[in-house]
Amino acid sequence: MAIDAATAARRGRLRLPSAPLIWLSLPLVLLVGVAVLAPLLPLDGARVQDLNAVLQPPVWAGGSWSHPLGSDQLGRDVLARLILGARLTFAIAGASMVAGLVPGTLLGLLAGYAGGPVDRVISRLADAQLAIPALLLAMAVVASRGNSVSVLVFVFALASWPQYARVVRAEVGSLRERPFVMGLRAAGLRERRIALRHVLPNVFGIVVVVATLQTGTIVLAESAVSFLGFGVTPPDISWGQMLADGKDLLTSAWWVAVIPGLAIALVVLNVSLLGDALATEMDPRRKR
Amino acid sequence: MTAGDLLLKIEDLKVTASVAGVDTDLIAGVSLNIPRARIIGVIGESGSGKTTLARSIIGLLESNVRVSGGGMTLEGEPLATARDFARIRGAKVGLIMQEAKASLDPLIRIDRQMREVARQHRDRTASIGVAGHADLLERLGFLPSDIQRVMRSYPHELSGGMAQRIAIALALIPGPSMLIADECTSALDVTTQAEVVTVIQGLVTDLGLSILFVTHDLSLAAGLCDELVVMHRGEVVELGATSSMISAPEHPYTQSLLAAR
Repeated sequence: MAIDAATAARRGRLRLPSAPLIWLSLPLVLLVGVAVLAPLLPLDGARVQDLNAVLQPPVWAGGSWSHPLGSDQLGRDVLARLILGARLTFAIAGASMVAGLVPGTLLGLLAGYAGGPVDRVISRLADAQLAIPALLLAMAVVASRGNSVSVLVFVFALASWPQYARVVRAEVGSLRERPFVMGLRAAGLRERRIALRHVLPNVFGIVVVVATLQTGTIVLAESAVSFLGFGVTPPDISWGQMLADGKDLLTSAWWVAVIPGLAIALVVLNVSLLGDALATEMDPRRKR
Repeated sequence: MTAGDLLLKIEDLKVTASVAGVDTDLIAGVSLNIPRARIIGVIGESGSGKTTLARSIIGLLESNVRVSGGGMTLEGEPLATARDFARIRGAKVGLIMQEAKASLDPLIRIDRQMREVARQHRDRTASIGVAGHADLLERLGFLPSDIQRVMRSYPHELSGGMAQRIAIALALIPGPSMLIADECTSALDVTTQAEVVTVIQGLVTDLGLSILFVTHDLSLAAGLCDELVVMHRGEVVELGATSSMISAPEHPYTQSLLAAR
């Protein structure tokens, strides 16, 4: 009977997401939850300097419970900074990813599906965008528009849309020649509907792959611009900024850089695995 | 409108492909009358222009291929502009292709694909004398006990013969007067081929549809079609009732096709 219920759920309109999808979403949901609730937590140690307790090691490396993940060169608590820093890191990475993905995917779809002059214009724009180094662009925009989270998101989105556009354009170019597109045209469906409702879902898998790669790139780019001093600046905290702050201490107090670095790596890995599970969920042929 | 009335008239149709600025005629002046409720077989080897002919009837030629001369009328109305073709595509003329599975969107269940076609056009399944999509599938030879499962399936979960009958069902929903079957049985084994052929014959005798049956398989066409059109290098070399052509082929190319059978 249990099998029957599961089969019924799978065949029904409202399908339950598969087990890997739930397990892979869980850590991200938890992290985002903690990040959202961070202002309610007792995290004064994140910004308060305590020069009597600088560079305390984490608790398992001989430190004390007053600084479970150690403290940095100004005596600020690494755990508290990690939790508060998650807010900006997630907000910037998530918003930049979406802001690059949506226009990039749609422009790639348009270029790949329409072809001809439309394709040439969009492809040249993407090439031109890729020719400008993202860091240089970030400096120019920050210099003229000032330094804020929305400016950073704008710059990262601007730097990442061509990645989606190029990959989606190539994929759509090959999908367009598949018999099912001919079948839909012959059935009298309009081109716009075929492109948006039938071709677009078929590129979802590849968009997810690009998005996970881009999320990692954005987190690292944010650390790079913070390091150069025109990204997230104190008193605001981000993981990238923590990583940049700690990198000179790598030989003496490794935890200041390694802990935010590990956090970035784990989150990017989680996003990547989740993206893969999501792509599998979307494609009935990949399910077992 | 009775059987034998003229449905589609093709007059001196020329179709030209341009590759790197060089024009090549894919179809060099073909004239053809397709009456109602008949199966017309278009026979020829690869490259004879039979698929190009089929595609030009619904205005779905490759981007570098164009109609360069002649004209077509469907039920007396001209087929020339993009609007003309958009009006008849699916609604009046349906297309069934060789790889049925590949001709269905791989990410969408069968029942949703049927509903989508029904929404795009006026759902005229009722005019076929069936009550709804499940009934239509039963009419096309699906087992009643199997229909719910089939409708909830994705294309890759179907066999080639099932997918081809689904493709036929999708084409029938808008209530067309003609179907173009482009090598629609070539990828199927002999038993499944026979099933699909039976379904197609039923469409003609029961629903009065005309079928343009494009194939390279002369034996199959000889058994199924009322009339045969033999194409060779973009031209019609022989055309006539099946029985007389099989017993007394006039053109040397038809004779060689028959000899090779």
